[in-house]
Amino acid sequence: MDIIIPLVDASSYILILIMIALGLMIVFGMMGVINMAHGELFMIGAYVMVLCQSHNLPFWLGLVLAPIMVAFIGLLIETLLIRHIYQRPLDTILATWGLSIALKQAIVLVFGPEAQSVSAPVDESFSIGDFSYPIYRLFIMAASLFMIIATFWIFLKTDFGLMARAVIARPHTSETLGINTRRIYRWSFVFGTALAGLAGALIAPTISVDPQMGLGYLVPGFLSILVGGTGPLAGVLAGAGAIGGTNSLLSVWVSPVAAQIAVFILAIIIIRMRPSGLLGERDEK
Amino acid sequence: MKNNLFIIFTFALLAVMPLILSDYWTGQLNYYLIYGLFALSLSLVWGYGGILCFGQAIFFGIGAYVMAVSTKGMLSPVPANFYLGLSLACMAAAAFAALLGSFLFAGKGINGPYLAIITLAIAMVLERLMSNWYALGGYNGLLDIPPINLGLFSYDLEIWDSRPAFYILWSIVFCITLLLGWLVKSDFGSLLIALRTNPERLTYFGFSPLQIKLKVFCLSAAIAGLAGALFVTLDGFASPTLIGFTLSTEVLIWVALGGKELLIAAFLGAIATRLAENWLSELFGDYWLLILGFLFMVSVVLFPKGLIATPIQAFLKRFNSNKNAA
Repeated sequence: MDIIIPLVDASSYILILIMIALGLMIVFGMMGVINMAHGELFMIGAYVMVLCQSHNLPFWLGLVLAPIMVAFIGLLIETLLIRHIYQRPLDTILATWGLSIALKQAIVLVFGPEAQSVSAPVDESFSIGDFSYPIYRLFIMAASLFMIIATFWIFLKTDFGLMARAVIARPHTSETLGINTRRIYRWSFVFGTALAGLAGALIAPTISVDPQMGLGYLVPGFLSILVGGTGPLAGVLAGAGAIGGTNSLLSVWVSPVAAQIAVFILAIIIIRMRPSGLLGERDEK
Repeated sequence: MKNNLFIIFTFALLAVMPLILSDYWTGQLNYYLIYGLFALSLSLVWGYGGILCFGQAIFFGIGAYVMAVSTKGMLSPVPANFYLGLSLACMAAAAFAALLGSFLFAGKGINGPYLAIITLAIAMVLERLMSNWYALGGYNGLLDIPPINLGLFSYDLEIWDSRPAFYILWSIVFCITLLLGWLVKSDFGSLLIALRTNPERLTYFGFSPLQIKLKVFCLSAAIAGLAGALFVTLDGFASPTLIGFTLSTEVLIWVALGGKELLIAAFLGAIATRLAENWLSELFGDYWLLILGFLFMVSVVLFPKGLIATPIQAFLKRFNSNKNAA
């Protein structure tokens, strides 16, 4: 029995990490934009839940509001900031870093620097025999799994996804074929931010919500996409699985510090050895 | 030459500052000089070499800890000496950079955004590591680090006052700035610009980009290490935040705001940002970081060359064209 709970915990962490990494990946893979403020969007998602709780709004309404509000912020960011620097990918790192500082501080000004907590809508546990697990955590897993599948469905099965993939592969060709690349960029960016907002909202009851929480998810998210490879969307699954799984299991079995150090070193070695990621094809020239 | 003119002018102006400033502000200026030195190291590797290092504090922190450990006499066979500590700090930082660089840059290598993320991750790991390394003070850091000590051969000459300390730091930073100013104008500087703009052609001409990258990475690390070492002699305190992620991103902001492609602009960027922080954080309180974040975004989007470098370069251009006309 000792092994099941860490395993379930690990898969729950992996699923959240995949949601975050998918958002980063859509933006990075498509537009080459590194969004350092992604962690802060995730944080804002969680703060929407704090706000809902303090206004006695139902929890489920918060889950709907969070991605919508974060998507709206994403739309603003894209219009006001990102679209001016598409041509300068390295500058996006700096500009979004400035944005992340500003967002963090804005949250401190509104909610204060101290950690907040959000209570889960259901407290009961689910148990079979010796195994017992909080229902809400199972719900997180189901919801994020659903969103991950939905994302894959959108990008692999719908017309929008087809156009988006065309824009990634051959931006100029798709433009000449009449695809509005600007619009595709914009809505992909917004979609990525909404995913981050929802992830933050979902996980809010299980962690302490504070203004510095974004970074702790941003860096593993980035390492996931670099380890997994930026080519196919499925690379994120492998990357987040490797990063999240190792981190989560080593935290239980050894210690959180050792886990983090081991994971980062592992990730750096993998990225160095296979620059195109675990699932990326080796470029043979 | 005209670049050097700016450097000399700036430092001459700095040199008279302690005569008019209070003790408190002279003490602050000492810190700014060190931050300026740290900014120079990043400007060299990023603005000139084109290597975006998101973890420059790695080297600052290594320098700080090596200096702390050696001047506190914790490396027992090695005597505790100021000069020895400084050179050990530089060497340790450069050695770590050589190790890291040869791992990251060799072969196909990692560059651009990947390098930024990886150096960021390394800074985070090292901060975690230092917080849990109890022999080196752990989370609380190392206290009571001796101040600058100019004494030689068992004579002690400890500098506790901020004014003499200022002139010592001033001369060190001035020399390094002039040296770097000369370096970036030399043949090596041209190689750095080639490395940043077109590494393929550099290979084609028979140069090894890896060698150049490693050299500039190590040199920049050594300067950052020196800055870290000087910092702990001033502060008397080495803590995990010196090696970590926050300081790494702060220096990035100073350099980007000032102008990464002009050494003196990066240096002034550090001083100006720290100064502004000192004044404005009292004035605006918690709004200061918000303003800094927005200022940074605006400067990246509208003035990618930096807020200080843009006017300086415009001035130099006019100066040159006037001279040509005359």
